[in-house]
This record gives sequence, structure tokens and C-alpha cells, in this order.
Amino acid sequence: MTDTHCPYCALQCAMRLAPGADGDLAASPREFPTNRGGMCQKGWTSADLLRTADRITAPLRRDPDGRFVEVSWDDALDEIAARVSKLQDAHGRDTVAVFGGGGLTNEKAYLLGKFARTVLRTRFIDYNGRFCMSSAAAAGNRAFGIDRGMPFPLTDLGGADAVLLLGSNLADTMPPAVQHLGGVRERGGLVVVDPRRSATARLCDDGAGEHLPLVPGTDLTLLLGLTHIVLAEGLADADFLVERTNGLDDVRRSVAAWWPERVASVTGIDEGRLRRIARQLAAASPSRGGAGAYVLTGRGAEQHVDGTDTVTAAINLALCLGLPGRVGSGYGCITGQGNGQGGREHGQKSDQLPGYRMIDDPSAREHVAAVWGVEPDSLPGKGVPAVDLLMRLGTDDGPRALFVHGSNLVVSAPDARTVTERLASLDLLVVCDFVPSETALLADFILPTTQWAEEEGTMTSLEGRVIRRRAAVTPPAGVRSELDILAGLGARLGAAVALPTDPREVFDELRRASAGGRADYAGISYARLDAGEALYWPCPTEEHAGTPRLFAEGFAHGDGRARMVAVSPRGRDDDLTRESPIFLVTGRVLQHYQSGAQTRRVRRLNDAAPAAYVELHPQLAARLGIEGVEEVRVTSSRGSMVAQARISADIRPDTVFAPFHFAGLARINSVTNAATDPISGMPEFKVCAVAVEAVGPTGPSVHPELEEVAR
Amino acid sequence: MTRQPRRTRVVVVGAGMVGIRFAEEVARADREGRFEVLVLGEEAYEPYNRILLTELVAGRADLASLALARPDGVTVRLAARVQEIDREARTVQVDGEAIPYDHLVLATGAQARVLRVPGLDGDPGDPLPGGVFVLRSVDDARGITAAALNAKRAVVVGGGPLGVEAACGMRLRGVAVDVISFAGHLLDRDLDPEPGRLLAAAVGDLGVTFHGNAALAGVTHSDGHVDGVGLDDGRTLAADLVVLAAGAVPETALAAAAGLEVAHGIVVGDDLATTVDPAVFAIGDCAQTPSGVSGLVAPGWEQARALAQRLVHGEIGEPVPVVLAGAAMRLKAAGVSLVSMGRKASNADGARVLTMSDPYARRYVEVVLDGDELVGMTCLGAAELSSTLSVQFGRPGVVPLDPLQLLAPSAGQADAAAGSPTTMPGSTTVCRCNGVTKRDLVKAWEGGACSVDALATTTRATTGCGGCTSLVRGICDWLQTSDPDDGVSTRSARSTSGDGVSQVEVLDREPVVKGA
Repeated sequence: MTDTHCPYCALQCAMRLAPGADGDLAASPREFPTNRGGMCQKGWTSADLLRTADRITAPLRRDPDGRFVEVSWDDALDEIAARVSKLQDAHGRDTVAVFGGGGLTNEKAYLLGKFARTVLRTRFIDYNGRFCMSSAAAAGNRAFGIDRGMPFPLTDLGGADAVLLLGSNLADTMPPAVQHLGGVRERGGLVVVDPRRSATARLCDDGAGEHLPLVPGTDLTLLLGLTHIVLAEGLADADFLVERTNGLDDVRRSVAAWWPERVASVTGIDEGRLRRIARQLAAASPSRGGAGAYVLTGRGAEQHVDGTDTVTAAINLALCLGLPGRVGSGYGCITGQGNGQGGREHGQKSDQLPGYRMIDDPSAREHVAAVWGVEPDSLPGKGVPAVDLLMRLGTDDGPRALFVHGSNLVVSAPDARTVTERLASLDLLVVCDFVPSETALLADFILPTTQWAEEEGTMTSLEGRVIRRRAAVTPPAGVRSELDILAGLGARLGAAVALPTDPREVFDELRRASAGGRADYAGISYARLDAGEALYWPCPTEEHAGTPRLFAEGFAHGDGRARMVAVSPRGRDDDLTRESPIFLVTGRVLQHYQSGAQTRRVRRLNDAAPAAYVELHPQLAARLGIEGVEEVRVTSSRGSMVAQARISADIRPDTVFAPFHFAGLARINSVTNAATDPISGMPEFKVCAVAVEAVGPTGPSVHPELEEVAR
Repeated sequence: MTRQPRRTRVVVVGAGMVGIRFAEEVARADREGRFEVLVLGEEAYEPYNRILLTELVAGRADLASLALARPDGVTVRLAARVQEIDREARTVQVDGEAIPYDHLVLATGAQARVLRVPGLDGDPGDPLPGGVFVLRSVDDARGITAAALNAKRAVVVGGGPLGVEAACGMRLRGVAVDVISFAGHLLDRDLDPEPGRLLAAAVGDLGVTFHGNAALAGVTHSDGHVDGVGLDDGRTLAADLVVLAAGAVPETALAAAAGLEVAHGIVVGDDLATTVDPAVFAIGDCAQTPSGVSGLVAPGWEQARALAQRLVHGEIGEPVPVVLAGAAMRLKAAGVSLVSMGRKASNADGARVLTMSDPYARRYVEVVLDGDELVGMTCLGAAELSSTLSVQFGRPGVVPLDPLQLLAPSAGQADAAAGSPTTMPGSTTVCRCNGVTKRDLVKAWEGGACSVDALATTTRATTGCGGCTSLVRGICDWLQTSDPDDGVSTRSARSTSGDGVSQVEVLDREPVVKGA
């Protein structure tokens, strides 16, 4: 019997792994503050992952004829190291790139960054968290001087009078989290902003709150309008603004141009509702005697070319209401991936070293170099964000080799057809995974790894709390932990640094590397975690109790004040035309996680949600002559996908929705746009212009150009 | 290194919403920093959002919230009145200083029209009699607000958007208000007669009385303060506060003095350059484009953007036509919702028109369709619908096949209600988190799971977010009632299997669903 946490999302539900009635290991929920004893289908069935039929248990090398053959670990690592050396000798260190993941443990994320900077010595490392958390991270750093998704425990939400939730469908993505909205729903204060009447939007029914079905990509405008009303109607927390913020005047001027009637014409949400929501938030705010209010954002609001500015606008609104830094109120971003928080703190980002240190800061380089025992000058400089990196792969001056860890880019990257072509053009692609994901199937080498219940480590959940992942079973013979793989490659590539393989040892090194950084883990130890302490970073010493709530004393800028930054909408990168008159938005279904590489292999989940679909409104369906029994094709200027139509009045008549977990013809990321936010590098997954058409019942439902790239 | 070329000097006369927007657009487009922009504003106030002046009158906004953003890299000089333009020397005169320009952009806006009737027959520029105001500046709005403190009856002259907003605003301050207009109905430029009449009824409900077909004949005063207005039909209305909102006149004096062509406004071509001097441009309310004078901010902003693109990117790109048609009118008046865009029934020009008129509720909705595109809408008293419709305006391909659905989007759509435990179909998902249907629960009951706890253990229903706990309890109660004997016997025959600890914990807490 082992107590650990769920392998999937950032809620990290506590679970117990023990033999079930049939003797196989089974998961059941444990009491824990974030999941309060609840768990969704994904968690309940997670132990099935350990028994997945197509588990890879030996390194695979692609033959010249394209087939994978089993090779020994020594042969695989020898050959990879030799090819890396040869490429780097010929084309320089930056010819090898690394792509990490927000699902990796802190230990793996840390060691991967160290491996890239000290062994490969490439500047090209980034990770799939760029697709999830980067806009909120950039905005959090800009406003507060620190980026912790939720700077307060999730349980704090329970006491609020109002919660404004933008672009998050947590009822599907992390169902047990809905419990924390129980209080605000009882008080009628839940406001969900989403183009769809999602499961989360439906939580507002029956007087529990209000759903605002805005035009896709207009969250920023909506927030400017709400802030306008708060300032114009004198609802702001004037004392807080004077004492704890800078930049109000700029923000006030910038929202002067966004009066409610104008905002209504952009967002589709009428001015009466806007005023009502603004007043409701204000009434809930502490300065006006309310029990508290929260502004929360998710990917729907963040994955835009102005995503950083959208989060900034959300923070500005929260600051106007005097919420951040007050117990029972605040702004928070709802992290998606399991270790989306920790994964971005310890060196996978193109511009960061462990502890959320910036790679171009000389003192940060010096500190980390000292921990690693290398010269600061030997560390490479800043790389480029994920989309930029992926689009360079295999080009004349781009990287020719790539290591992929914990990511299934072929399904999850925007404009996935182009990304797939880039991957296929590499001289060397090495994918570490435990199943043959769509990306692994393109690789020259697949290195099989241990998975969640087979390893020790730590994860940092959506609220910045560090939790322990524990091994419950012995991994199959023939698979290795990523720590072992990196050490093995390091040894062959003449690493001058230590690459420990014991997670606890790696974590202790991470603690030293992060000491004094923004995300300071120095005082967090396995021993303290195993003793049951609830430790939130920063935790600078072993005596420190951790920091469940940030900003009580001040914000993390030098002057202790939050920075309000004036922002304005950039507009959709890919706007509607007569040929592409419909908005596309994407998201998750309850049964699947991310690219589906794991959950599509769990029979019970796959039975419940076996395929992609395209959700469209009855009015749009009628206009397009779609009856709901046929497949439809969704096409943008980048590509198409085909899936079953699902007619539902829960979506705007001008918008279609498709889940992003599916591959092949049903891959919606063939259609999405790779345009990125200039500040965060986050792609605009959450709105593009498409055409939708019925695929004839008799004709071929396949475009030849949609065939997966296969070498 | 090559010598830095001299930056192109752009001088903007007028720091209103269009002038400031133009400066902002230039600053944004000018990535290389080739332009130097100076904005000269006549008022001493920070540039502000003139559109919201009626919100000041209504007390729904404070002055500070009207200030506009100062664009980065742009110099704004306030209280800087331009006396003269020397087109020969390419300079403008401000307090004896000659300020040079390469491009001069006139964004001087408009003045309120003062009807020269008895009692208002002073010379232009003379102060208006006490208690009589126009509403064009912050000072005007402040004056009205102060006067409203002591006023009992106000008369608004003019039945356009400004007049209606001002009237409703003063009404919020407790002043009785009459609106007079020479037109037969309110907002005659934006509305056809029927919605216009319904609007009058709607503002009437708020306490604003409308007098149509009534021209202002004179203003009477006593002791230097207004005490009434006379109408051309001989009637008089008592008033201690009068607001003149009878339209605006483009501010063209500077342009005319500089020898530029002036008709109703400063005459410009599609390229927004004046007809006489290619270095001088006019945008916003002062400009008379080939499509006319706008008087609304949206076309002014469009002109600002177009001109900035032209100046910064030179010949690159097509000239942007200045479109005035279809500009949206959104009334900002507490208690009345009104939006009109594009074509209306009376100028539908063969397009398909659908109307819904509901005088009882002061509602009127009209949509105009050209093929699969919404090309016009009028929406009174239906705020939610108006915002839904306005985002579909001009977007072909997404309007419903049957445009009736535009008038009543949710009519006839049955909401997927959860239903009662008894009547809901077996296929209804009860627990979303774990994909448990009512049928699954009934099956589990029949298999011996005859309590909420046991159902939870067997099916996992309620063990995710807990939101379905009350529904499961309801189904459990229904099963108990419908088949109590069977329930009891099977329950005792079967013990709970597996690790039930966590389920008990889950079920001990308060149900999340409201009304449980």
C-alpha cells in the first residue's frame, strides 16, 4: 500500500495504491486539501496505465527500413552519444536541442536543464509548459515580481463571495476542484467566462452565479470593461491602490477608452451584465465589507497572442479591487499540467536556471555554476521559446538533433502538421517515453522510461505546494528512470559535472541551486515532506514553515509594490474571413489528459470518450446542412481535421469546439495557429478562423495531405 | 555609421479622442522611430473621453476615469490654442511661437450648435445665459452637474443620442426633464418612427417627457438666469436648466482662415488629405470626407488608423476607404438599452427585414439581412440580444438559416434540465466525474448497493467533485420508495467491498449542489 498522488493534472489528487479485488494494483482517493477525498475517472483508472499493453520495455532503434528494433541500453546510449558528438563537432553545440515537459518531476526537470546547460551546453532548451503556463507566468512576474500560479491555498476559495473564472473548465479538467467553489456558488457569486456553456459554466445555473458566453478571444476587452466600471463608479480600493501599487494612472487612462457599451459590442456581453458583475465583484471585495473575491484565469484566456496582456488585465482588475495579498482574496492562475508549476521553476525554460533564476543575470549564473562546479562563462545563454525552437528544427541554421522528454509534440503543438514536418527533418530524434506516443513513433531512438508509480520524486501542485510522488511497484525490467538515462548519456559525452541518479540526491542539489532564487526550495526536504508537512515555496531554511500565502507583507518587486501595466487588445492573429467565417476553440474532455498518450491507452477512459468530436450550435449546423450524424471537416489555412459532429446549444452559434487529445485525422492541432504572444512565446491555441463542412456519408472522409508524416 | 536622418514632424491640432488616437496609431506603427508627433490641445484638461461626458452628468463616472492614455513617445501640449496656420512656412502659431510641421493633422472636432433664437442671440463666443449649457467639454458637464443640484425642471433641446443621454442623466439627479425636438421622434437619424416612439415611451417611464415636432422659439430669463423656453407652437415650458444638444458644427475656422477648402466640414479626399494642401489632413468630426461628416467616434478612429498607416508606411498598402455607413449607435443612458447599426427598415434597399415590436415592454428588435450577412440591426429594450447581434454584424456565414432565430435566439430551445430522479432517462449521466448513469446506479442497487455509501463504493458516483451527491441521494430515495422490500433484502445480503474509507469521508461532508 503506497500513498502518492495522481499522475495527471496539477490538482495532484492524493491517492492510495493498493491491490484491488482482482489482485491488481488499484487507485483510490485519499483525504487531502486539494481533492478533499474526491477523484475523477482519470485518477480512479490511473493504475491501468501501469499495465498498458504496448508499454515499451527495451530501447528501440529505427532501422534504415523504418522499423524499430530492440537494442541494448549500452548500444543505444553509445550510438546516441556518438551521433550527438559528431553533430556538435560539425555544427556547434546549439545543433542539439532539448524539449522537456510540465509532467516531469522537479528532479527530472532540474536534471534535464542541468544536462542541457553543462553536458550538451546548448542554449536550445524549452518545454511544453510554454504552451500552458507562460503567459500567466510572464504577467505574474511583471505584476508581482514572482510567478506562483496560485499564491494562496486552493481551499481559500471556499470563503469568497465572488469568483471570476476566465477560460477554465475545471469541472472537466480537474473535477474534484469544483468542491472549493461550493461556498461561492451557495452565495450566488460564481462568474464563468467561456464561449461555451461548459461543465464549469453550468455550475453557475440555478442562481449559483452567471455564465458570460463571450466572443472567443475577447477576454482582455471584457476585463478592461470591468476595470473601467470599477474605476468609473468609484468601486476601487483606493487605499490599497495608493499603498501597495504603482501604475494606476496608466491603467486608469487605458481603460477610459473601454466603456461598457463599447465592450459589449466587442465581447457580446451586454453592458447591464458587465455593470452587474463589476458591482458584484466589488461588493465581495474586502474594502467594501465583502468576504473576499478572486479573479482566476485558465488557458482559454491565456492562450492568445495577447495572453500575457490578458492576464495583466485580470491582475489589474484584482488590484483595483484590492484583492492580491489579502487573505481570502486574490488573483490566481489555474495550472494545467501535473508539474506545470515546478516544471517551470528549475531550468527547463529557455531563459531560466533553477530557482526561477534568469539565465542572463550574472549573479544567477554565478550561483548556479558554483553549485554545478562549472565556470559561469561555460553556461550557454538564452535560447528561444518552444514554438520558435520547433519551427527552427532541421532548418539550415537550426538544430539537427532533439531530445524529447515528457511531451507528445506531434499531437500537442500548434500547427502540428508543420511541427511534425520539422521533427521528421531532423538528423537525430531521441524520445524518452514509456509508450509509443505519436512523437515517439517518429524517433530514431525511443528510450523507455519508468512512469509515475514506479519512481520517487516531487511535484509542485497548482498552489505552489511541493508534494511527494512515491514508487508503489517495481518498474519492468529494461526501463530506466530519466535520471539514469541522463547520467548514462552524460558519462558517454564526457560530462564534467555530477549527474546523480537518486531522486533524493537530485532534490538536495536542486535545493542548493534554488537557494536564494525566486522559487526557493532550500528548506524543503524529503524528510519534511514524508513527515507530512505542507510546504509551499518559498521555503528558504529547514526551520522555515513555507509560504502558503504570498504577498501578505509586500509584492516581490524591490519596492514591495505591485506593478499595474496598461494593456490593450492586439486582436486575433487569424481573423475571420468570408472563407473562414467561424471561430475554433479547443479544450479538454474529462476522460483525457493532454495529448492523450496516456489516457487513450486506458480502456475504461477510451470506452467513455473514444474519439474526437466537433461541437457546433444547432443554428450553425442548420446553416451548414449538418444533421449531427455525420463527420465534419474543420479547415484553417494550416490544415484540416475530421471528426464526428456533435450538435449542442451549449456553444455560441459562431464558434465550434474540438478537444485536443486525439491524433491522426482527428488532430485539431493540425488546424490551430502557431502565432505567439511576443512576451511569453505562448501560441494562440484558443482562437482561429475556420471553415466547417459536412463530410459526405459515402465519399472518402480523408484528405491525402492529412496522412501523418512517416519516414 | 550613417547620420540619423531628421525625423518627420507630425503636428496634430486637437487632443480629443481622434487626435490622441491618431498619435497613438502613429507611435504604434512607427517601429523605427522615424516620426516625431506633437499633439496640441486647446483645453487645459488632460485628454479625455468625450463620449463619457453624459456619464459624468449621470454620476456614473468620475472625472479621473475619463482621462485617456498618453501614447508613448508622443508629446502632448495642453492649453495650447493654435491661432494660425502658415502653410507656406509649414508652421502653426501657438502663443507667438511658430511650431514647424511636415504633416499637419487637423482633429479640431466640432462645436455644439447654438440656435440663435431670442434669448440666445448673443454673438458667437459670448457666454450663454445663466442656466443654459451645451455639453461638449468637461467644463460643460461640470456646469450642468452643479446646476442640477438646485434645478427643478430642465429642458433638453435636441432629441439625438446626446440629448437623450443628458436627459436621462439629469433625471438620475432628480430633475424633471423635458426633451424638445423639431423631429417627430427621438433619434430620428438613427431610428425609424416606430422604435423612436417606443424609445420616447421608455424614457417617459423614467420621467423624461418628449415633445416632438417642436422647435425652440426662444429662451426667457429673469435676473440673468433662464426661467423657461418657448416653442414654435406657442407653448412655453418652465425650466431653470437648459441643455442645448441640437447637433454639432465642425470646427473649421482655423482651416478656413488658412485658405483650405471648407464646406460643411474641412473637405478631404479618400486619402484624408485636404484638397488644397497635401501636407495638411483632417480627421474626425471636423473632416468632410467624400462620404460625409461623421459625428461619431468609431469612424473618426478608423480615419485615425487609416491616416497613421498611410503616413508611416507611405505608399505601401492600398488606400483605406473611409466608411461612415453602418457606424454603430449605442445609447448610454441608465435604464434604457438601445443599439442601432447599419441599415434600418426604411433604407433596407431590398434586403430582408424582420421586426419584433412589443410596445407593452418598450421593446423593439429589427434585423436586416443581405443573404447570409446581418447588415442592419435596431435593438431597443433587449440589452442581451443587442450585444449578441452586434458581434454578428457584418460577419457572413454565421447567421441562422432561419433569421427568426436572430430575434429570439433561445426561444424554443428546451434546456437540458436535470429532471427528477423518477423521470430522468436511464442514460442520463448522474456523476460526470466518473461517467455514472442513472442506469448504472439502478443496476448497482439491484446488485445490492442499497445506500448512498454503497452506491458510491460500487459505482464511484459522488467520489469526484461530489456535485451529484444530492441527486444520488434522490435516486436512492426513489429506489427505496419504489421497491423497499427488495432493497432491504438485497442490502443485507451484500457487504461493502473494497476500501470504503475514503467514500465515507466524501459523503460525510456537505453536499455541494445548491438546494440540496
